[in-house]
Amino acid sequence: MVADTGSASARRPAGRLNAPRPALVEAGPGGAPRVVNRELVTLVREEWRVVDRWWTEEPVDRRYFEVVLETGRNVCVYRDREEGCWFTQNA
Amino acid sequence: MIACLLIPGFELRAALRERPGLALEAAALAPAPNTEPLLGPVTAAAQAAGIKPGMRLGEALATCPSLVLVEPDPAAVEREWEGVLRRLEDAGFAVDPVEHGAVVFETRGVERLYGGVQQALQRALGAVGSTWDPRIGAASRRFTALAAASVARAGQILIVAEKDETSFLEPLPLSLLPLSADRYAELEGLGVRRLGELASLPGGAVAERLGADGRDAWRLARGGRAGKVRGRRPPPELMEALVFPEAVANELTLRRALGSLLERLLARPERAGRPFRKLALSARLVDGGSWRRALTLRDATAEPARLRVALGPKLSELPAPILELRLEAVELAEHQGQQLALVEPAGEEAAGRLREGLRQVRASTGTGSVCAVVEVAPWSRIPEARALVVPRDV
Repeated sequence: MVADTGSASARRPAGRLNAPRPALVEAGPGGAPRVVNRELVTLVREEWRVVDRWWTEEPVDRRYFEVVLETGRNVCVYRDREEGCWFTQNA
Repeated sequence: MIACLLIPGFELRAALRERPGLALEAAALAPAPNTEPLLGPVTAAAQAAGIKPGMRLGEALATCPSLVLVEPDPAAVEREWEGVLRRLEDAGFAVDPVEHGAVVFETRGVERLYGGVQQALQRALGAVGSTWDPRIGAASRRFTALAAASVARAGQILIVAEKDETSFLEPLPLSLLPLSADRYAELEGLGVRRLGELASLPGGAVAERLGADGRDAWRLARGGRAGKVRGRRPPPELMEALVFPEAVANELTLRRALGSLLERLLARPERAGRPFRKLALSARLVDGGSWRRALTLRDATAEPARLRVALGPKLSELPAPILELRLEAVELAEHQGQQLALVEPAGEEAAGRLREGLRQVRASTGTGSVCAVVEVAPWSRIPEARALVVPRDV
């Protein structure tokens, strides 16, 4: 048997998988990230842009960077050009 | 339209049902044992004497020496809240309880039955009863309905039209948002005190400064997401109680009483042969308070010996001698027996175990805790648009 840990308030609506999470990023002069969540970036492996839904009221304009941090972790971050802030996401 | 019915201080009101005289005096819900000594909800007379919910016990008693502390009564709260929900369901509303004292429901299904939104909500107020001082807020979004109910007076129905939602939310305080005390302090330090002030900030800046919680709060301050209300599945009404002529604390007596309650519960015809998935054991304590423990069984069962083994240890957690012991079936399994096959088809056993595992998770953590990933646009260039996590009823 297991102890009761739940309640009716455990309900939740449908959510998006892989939703972006806000990130603290310091960018270099060319706009590429230098520090991601207080960890130094050692290598920018790839860079690409996603421009989509420009015909809607919620256009998407993102500049993605796949970077390697000093701990060896691979992280994908992007700068949202509409909102002007950074997010991490598994692209 | 989404409606939210609110009963402020429900835990205190439920605990005072048997002592209605105290409702007119300065009284407050005492802190639960082994928790921080902070007061729960307080009566109007206590508020007039300067007592506020969440106040430290020592400070409250120094402010108002005549303050009466009411012991928490979790069994009464559960019983009364279930009564409120059932009365709403009897009136035709598919309810989604948020917490004790707050429930959300859609009016769309009953508007034609009662002749309009206002009449349907009037009916909901009537179903709950004026003794609880319920109030209702209604809007096109859940958070706005909750905010409307929070500012409505007892017995009032406050309907916010869709076009007025933004202007309605603007002047309301930030305390309506589900944020931690640190976050409130941080926002107040920045000069943000109203929902409108938070909503007017750029979402990106709020997310960068306050993280995911801040982003969610910012969305709520702008009205929150539009979504449907999923009505709960009402639990079965199966309960047996045993009243003792005098207070009992002897473990042997308690175990015998539990055995007798189990036999009576198992014999109830409403069970229709279905085994128990979740049970609750509650007791009325000799000092006037109550005690309640819920238990989810790993395998749904109706075997008295296994049920006794599972429930017996809970009796040792009783904090005081008791006057009454109750056993309640909170959830029954849907199957009546297990059909065995001579040769199991390939993968059937694994699938069956997975189904059973998911059922157990759902039984112990509540509806909506088991989710499935559904691909909606795998070709999309926007990663979060490719798939959804959808709650799945097993």
